Formats: sequence, C-alpha cells, structure tokens
Amino acid sequence: MLKQCRAVLERELFYMWRDKSLRYILLVGPLLGMLLFAGVYSYQRIGNIPTGIVDLDNSQASRQVVSELKNTQNLQVAAYYDSYAQLEESIKRGEVIVGVVIPENFGKNIALHRQTKVAVFIDGMNMAYATNASSAVLTVTRTYGAQVGIQTLIAQGIQANQAQEAYQSIAFPEEAWFNSTLNYAYFTVLGFALNVWQQCLTLAACMTIIGENGLSSWLQIKASGISSPVLFFCKSVVHIAVFMLIVLPLYFLAFVVFKLPLACGWLNLLSFTLIFAIALHSLGTMMSSISRNAVNATRYGMIIALPAFVISGFTWPLEAMPQWFQHAAWFLPQTWFFQGINYLTFKNPGWGFMSHYYLVLGLMAVLFYSAAALRLMAEDFLPKGEMM
Amino acid sequence: MKQILNIAYYEMRHILKERVLFLMIFLVPLLYASLFGIVYVSGILQHVPLGIVDLDHSKESRAVVSAFENTPSFKVVPEVNTYAALEKGMKTGLVRAGVVIPEDYSQKLSQHQLTQILTIYDGSNLIYGFNIRKYFQQVLNTFSADHTAAYLSGLGMTKQEITNVMDTVSYSMEIWYNPTLSYATFIYMGLALMIFQQIGLLGIGLTVTREKEQNTWVQYLSAAVSAWKIFIGKALPYFIVNFFNYGLVMWVAVRFVNVKIEGSVALIVLLGLLFDIIVVSAGFVVSVYVPNSLLATRYLMLISVPIFVSSGYSWPSTHIPKIINELVRLMPYPWMAEGFRLVTIKNLSVSYIIDKIMVLIVMAVISLFFALTFSKRRKPPVRSGLAVNGTITYPDKSSFSS
Repeated sequence: MLKQCRAVLERELFYMWRDKSLRYILLVGPLLGMLLFAGVYSYQRIGNIPTGIVDLDNSQASRQVVSELKNTQNLQVAAYYDSYAQLEESIKRGEVIVGVVIPENFGKNIALHRQTKVAVFIDGMNMAYATNASSAVLTVTRTYGAQVGIQTLIAQGIQANQAQEAYQSIAFPEEAWFNSTLNYAYFTVLGFALNVWQQCLTLAACMTIIGENGLSSWLQIKASGISSPVLFFCKSVVHIAVFMLIVLPLYFLAFVVFKLPLACGWLNLLSFTLIFAIALHSLGTMMSSISRNAVNATRYGMIIALPAFVISGFTWPLEAMPQWFQHAAWFLPQTWFFQGINYLTFKNPGWGFMSHYYLVLGLMAVLFYSAAALRLMAEDFLPKGEMM
Repeated sequence: MKQILNIAYYEMRHILKERVLFLMIFLVPLLYASLFGIVYVSGILQHVPLGIVDLDHSKESRAVVSAFENTPSFKVVPEVNTYAALEKGMKTGLVRAGVVIPEDYSQKLSQHQLTQILTIYDGSNLIYGFNIRKYFQQVLNTFSADHTAAYLSGLGMTKQEITNVMDTVSYSMEIWYNPTLSYATFIYMGLALMIFQQIGLLGIGLTVTREKEQNTWVQYLSAAVSAWKIFIGKALPYFIVNFFNYGLVMWVAVRFVNVKIEGSVALIVLLGLLFDIIVVSAGFVVSVYVPNSLLATRYLMLISVPIFVSSGYSWPSTHIPKIINELVRLMPYPWMAEGFRLVTIKNLSVSYIIDKIMVLIVMAVISLFFALTFSKRRKPPVRSGLAVNGTITYPDKSSFSS
C-alpha cells in the first residue's frame, strides 16, 4: 500500500513537472504577478493630485487660498490658468484632476465682509483620484473657512479668543486603523497576487481526474490494481504540496521583501492557506470529474476562478452588494479565503472568529471531493470521449 | 467570397455543435456582465456600520450622535458603545468606523476649552477607508458649522449676521463626469471590456488548435485556399458574435447597472470595431502557433488580471512606474479602455482620443497582417508537449524518453 502510494506520488510529481505549460504557469505565474503588482503599486499612495488654479483676483487673500491648497495633503498645484475655459479644457484632457476658481474681487469682498464663493471642480472619472481629492478639498474648506470666519468676527469687534472658540473649540483628529498610512500597496498587492495564485491552482486542480480517466492509459491504471481512492488521494497530496510550495516564495516576497503587514503570524497564515488550497483543489477536482476533456475542465474551473476575486468582496465590499448575492458569494471558497486573508494579515481577530472560516473551507473540501467521487462512481470509471 | 462563406459556415457549425464553446461565447459574456453588474449595482457605499462611543452622555454629545445618525452614509450599530467593543467590532468587521466622544466633552465646551472628537476608520479595505474619511469630513463640516452658528447665536448675533459671517467665503464643490462618485460608472465597463477581450480571445483562440487536434488543419493548409481567406472565414463568426456581445454588455450596463454611457455612438462603434479586429486577429495568430487547445486556454485565461491591474484603469497610470506603463501600452486593452471611458463618461469628441484611435488602428493593422499572412507551410506534427485528450497521446513516449 505504502509502496503504491509512493509510486503514485512520484509519478504525479513527474507528470506535473513534465507538463511544461503547467510547470511554467505554476512556477512563474504567481511570482511574476506579485512582482508586477508590487511594481504597479510602488507609489503606494494617491498623493500629488494635479490641481489647476484660476486666480481671477490675484490678491493677498486669493494667494492665501492658493497657499492653503499647496499645503494640503494629497493636492499638488500643477498649473495656473487665466480663464475657466482653459481649466475646463485641462480637466477634459486629464492634465489636472482638481480645478479651483477664485473669483474677481475675492480679496475686496472678504475685506468688506461681503459673501464670496470659491468654486472647486473635481474630475470624477477615476475614483482613486476623486475620493482623495474630495477629502482633501473638504479639509481645506473647513480650515480656510474657519480662518476667514475668525478674522471676520474679530473685525466685527468680537474678542479674539471668542472668535477662535466659535470655530475651533472642537478638534476632529482621525485615525486609520490597521493601515495607518492608507497604503494602497498594503491593501491590494497581496490580494491580486493571491488571485493569480488561485487561478494557477485552479488550472492544475482541474487536471486531477480528467488527467487520468480522459486518457487511454486509464484502463491500464485500473488493471494495475491501484484503487481509485488511493490514486486520487496521492495525486491530491502532491498537488496540494506543490500549491503550498509555490505560495512560500510569494509570501516571502510579500512579507519579508515588500514588508506588507502580517498581523497573524506565519503559522496562522500558512495553516489558513493550506485549508484553502485543499478546498480549491477539491473544487477543481469536482470540475475535473464533470468534464469530458481537459480543455473543458480548465474552462469550467476558470469560469469560477476568474470573477471569484471581484465577487469575494476583497475590493468592493461584500456589504455593498445586494443581500441575496452576499449569501451566494459565500458559497465560493475564494470568498472565505480573500475575506479571511484580509482579516488575518491586517487584524488577526483570533481563533474564535477565524475558526468558522477553517470549518467552512474544510466542509467545502469534503463536499466537493465527495461530489467528485460520486460522479466517478456514477460513470463506473469508464474512459470518456474525445470531445463534448 | 464563396470560399470564405463556406469556411465561416463550417466554423459556425462547429460553434453550434460544441456546446461548451457555444455557451462560452454566447452566454458567458452575459453571465459575467450580470455578475459584475450585481456586484456593483449599488454603485455608492452607504450605511457604513459605525460604532459611537459616547463617554459623556450629555446633551452636547447626543448632538454629535444625531449628526451621524441623520446621514445615510453611516448606520450606527448600537451595541458597539464602549471602546473595547469598538476595538473588537473593528477587528471582526462588525463596524468599519468609529467615533469616540470623550467623557469631559460637554464640560470642556462649557469651560471654553478645546475638546476633541476622535474619528476612526478601517484602513484594511481602502474603498471603505477613503469613503469613510470623506463621509466624516462631510458630517463634521456640517456639524462644525452648526456648532459655530449656535456659538455665535449665544453671543447675541442675529441669524442674518451669523449667515453673513459664516458665508463670507463659501466653497462650492462640483464633481464632474461622475457626480455621485458611482463605482459602477467607474469600474464596470473596464471589467466588461476585459471580459470582452478574454472571451473573444478564448473563442477564436481554439479555432485552429481544435483543427490540429482533429487532424483537419492539414486540409486547410493543403487546400487551394489562400491564408487570408482561411482567416477571414474562420474569424467572421467570432467577429460578429464579439461585436454583438460588445453591444449586449453596454445594454446591460446602462439598463440594469445604471452605468453612465454617453458620447458619440459613432466613436463607441469605431472603438468596438477596432478592438474586435485586434482581439479576433490576435486570437487567431495565437491559435495558429500554439500546439494545442489546452495550452491556448491556460495562457489566455491568465492574462486578464495582470493587464487590468497594470492598465491604469483603476490605479492611475501617473502613479505607476514608467517601465510598466510602457510595457502595458503595447497591449490594446489600456488604449481601448481609456478611449472608451473618455468618450462614454467624459463625453469627449474625437480630437481628444485621436491618439488612442491611431494606436488601435496601428495595432489592428499589425495583428491583421500576421493573421492574414500566416504560414501555410505544412510541418510534421509536434510530438512534444501536452495534449490531453488530443490526438497526441498523453503520456507521450517521445517526451518520456527525452
């Protein structure tokens, strides 16, 4: 029995290695993905949002507004324009994202305590820019509005401390927990790289059964006396071991080289990754069992694997999706994995919280493997046709 | 012409006969469009779960609580009312934001001392993080203004005087092109175009490999039909179906997901046609040179995520290193996606996207050239490499011995 197992393990490892495209995909795909995504997000934050100014007043007061804008986190005054039309054109062309128009007589109106209005325009086409830009503008609005208000009150004879108190008696400090610098690389790089990893895994897992019973050699294997459970168990062990070996350099790059946050420790991370690798392998095996050939198995597996990341709520939150769809999303192992990885790496909520993630992924594995076994039994292990 | 139509007819019969391929090119685009549509249908992040820790329990602190209760941006979670519960709630995702009002809040206000309200948000998901930050700013700006107005009223100023002081300088903030900051408008068509590319490539990507596996490709190579006719005949059904899918996905986007699609129809059609030509001809070239269907499927399946992420569609290309930008610009997707959204979201005319159109034309010409002039030279069957369920047996003895 042990000898048989060893022979199957060696054979499977050899077959995986011999399958050139799969070998390259497994060895290079996730690592290349990690390096690419780390490169893409190497700026880490959306800062220096190009801002264009139309100062139609050119007074000391208007220059003070410009100075406030210059000092605002995330905004960078990139251009000055003579007219609103020029600013509009520049926003259309994407040269600036934020436009500020300071009206004529701005300084004079402030001095005379007349109302005046600064117009701010934000290009909403790219949300990464737009949300940051609006936060930055709202901050300037409050601070500059307060400064002018205090000056106006003092000019009207209100005592300086009272004027200040009217505007600045409450401070609103903010804290971003778990990712205090709002670093985009922390948020996305690992998720995207693991997305590529799970796609590569799916490609491999989809071969588990069809890679055997879709071939004419299947009858020889049956004749050799190896039971199907032993054969597929040993194959699965090799696949899952390879999946885990592949993720190690990826995690090394992520947490040691790029220093992404890891709140939970290596043991938790690896054990959670292992349970997901088993669940995903079981899903791929099930797809493999219902397919008539390897191409279709790959298609079925990838039809789930491709959108799974978007559905998982790793980026756009699950809570913002329709209620019924949220329930459906939890039927995918990827949803449990990507949600779990986010919790583990950023927050480490403890075993009490994470235990049901492990439990569900484990149950999924049992369910999918059982479905694959039933399907195989139903077909009485007959070799399949060439094509659907 | 008849030869082209004959090949197209034969290809169409193949598509109809091979059920998975049929579903792949007719149903999967609609399936993905619907799936992503459901994901992004709300478009705007609202009712963010918020925990308020009111340590003061005064009339003044309740005014702060009310300010957060009266906005649709937040949904106050009542059970999170202590700092420990807030910490735990943030860790388990029960709440994504928190407000802490200190126990001496009202006392300090009455003693005219500086006090503070701490705002906390979850940075582990930056879509939450940045939106919450913006919502906090909005709520607190309004709250601040109300507080200032109340204070000035306490100093004996009239309502008109208060308005005059507070509105000395006012800001009007306009968000152009996507005024509600809808994520659906922002991201949906980017993903949809990626689906279009992916399914387009996967459809035609197997047209030649399938023939190779059935030993029928040799018939094409030896027939007295020129290479360009074979390409056009085989590509025609996919080209038409892809273009149909392009329209279908846009219809789903506008009708069900409320994605903003404006702009010149002619430009949208032109971009779609150019992208379709590139996808179909590139997919055909891949199919000609890749030995089997499995290999083509595996590689084509994996390209979507890296291209989308590095394309500058979501994370701006101004914040991506130059070398990655230059590399990704060799692909058609970034040009198409950017051109498409400039037309449909910004409603820009041709002069603004002429560079994108020109690049797509060049790419279309190059890919067409390779597709139309593929080599018809007959080669002996490739004996290495994997072809599960193909005509080459697996395991293959020759590669085994090597």
